[in-house]
Amino acid sequence: MEQDNELIERALNGSLQAWEDLVRRYEGRVYNYSLRLTGNRDDALDLMQDVFMGVYRHLERFRGDSQFVSWLFRIAHNKAVDLVRRRHASPVKYQMLPDDPDEWPDVSDTAANPQSAALTNEKNAMIQRLLDALTPEQRLILELKVFQSMTFEEIAMMQDISANTAKTRFYSALKKLRALMEEDHELSPDH
Amino acid sequence: MSCHQTTDIIADYFDQQLSPQARQTVQQHVAHCEDCRAEVALLAPAQKTLLAWQNESVPDWDRVKGQGQGHGNGPAAHNHRKRLHKRRAGPSWVDVRRWIPLAASLVLSVAVLTQTRLDVSGEGWRLSFGSSTAERQLAQLDLYLAEQASVQQQQNQRVLETALQQFGNSTADSLYQLVDWYEQQRELDMQRLEAGFQQMLERDYQTVNSVQQLASFVRYQNDLP
Repeated sequence: MEQDNELIERALNGSLQAWEDLVRRYEGRVYNYSLRLTGNRDDALDLMQDVFMGVYRHLERFRGDSQFVSWLFRIAHNKAVDLVRRRHASPVKYQMLPDDPDEWPDVSDTAANPQSAALTNEKNAMIQRLLDALTPEQRLILELKVFQSMTFEEIAMMQDISANTAKTRFYSALKKLRALMEEDHELSPDH
Repeated sequence: MSCHQTTDIIADYFDQQLSPQARQTVQQHVAHCEDCRAEVALLAPAQKTLLAWQNESVPDWDRVKGQGQGHGNGPAAHNHRKRLHKRRAGPSWVDVRRWIPLAASLVLSVAVLTQTRLDVSGEGWRLSFGSSTAERQLAQLDLYLAEQASVQQQQNQRVLETALQQFGNSTADSLYQLVDWYEQQRELDMQRLEAGFQQMLERDYQTVNSVQQLASFVRYQNDLP
């Protein structure tokens, strides 16, 4: 399998196939990261496209001195922060449906009815709710460590912190998550 | 929590990228440390919950042209001027610019050495080289200055002569008075000096001979032509 740096080199030299291969290699991870963040398929797709647009525009800046996935998720995190800011600025878009069904918008219009794009997998929806209750810092450390399988050293380099700090944040995030689970009485199958 | 290693142990215990050797060390510690063992038991469900996430497949989207605003065809087309640096044949604009300061210095040096001169007038401009014209002009300037100095001196002399003619007598009288005054002052000073010596003679007899000799010597000097 071609290495990331080789795909990047070819993509920068004009190979559309190399670019597409690079996107296909990481789009699943970015899309599911976006799902865990947004809880909504439409928003997750928008966020994923934003992420790859950022990669597309700044690919020549990737120096190869770190793993591509670290650089990719640094862009993803920045785009996620922008999305959260937009959400806070425009909360109307994310209101719940009105009580009167006559006032519900046309269900075929997914943009107007975000409920239709919500996670249908109950387990995923529960996990997304738990993660949503964490601070952005706790959420990011769990995302990078558990879902993206990055080492503490890679996380430390990406966030400009020490490996020990990354470990401390990870421990704190797990504790907070456990506490939330107890609050919601959403225990794992072993309990 | 009394174990000071719990944070690191827990982080390593749930680290799926931990090396086999490090994992063995962590497991040995957990096996013997009640606090860490309790924390592992408490937090294990949290990690298990996260790992229960089921990845969803990515919906169809245009990976090439889906980069917005019609700028498809990959990052190379979008950043056609920002490709990875490659060696290029021939001089680049940056390389040429590097030599401009040196070229300018050489031109200025040649201009100074050859005494290049640019004359701009209403009729146009003229570029000339060499020192002959400059030397002639300097010589003309020196001659002019010397003539002016001579003229000024002559004028000053005439003014002084005229002033002396008008105020000569009174000036001469003033000079004679000044000379008389100086001579009188000198005489007074000499008298004071002799009086001082006399006082010294009356006060200290041990120095009489030497002081008398000194006074004699002074008079001898004054009497000399």
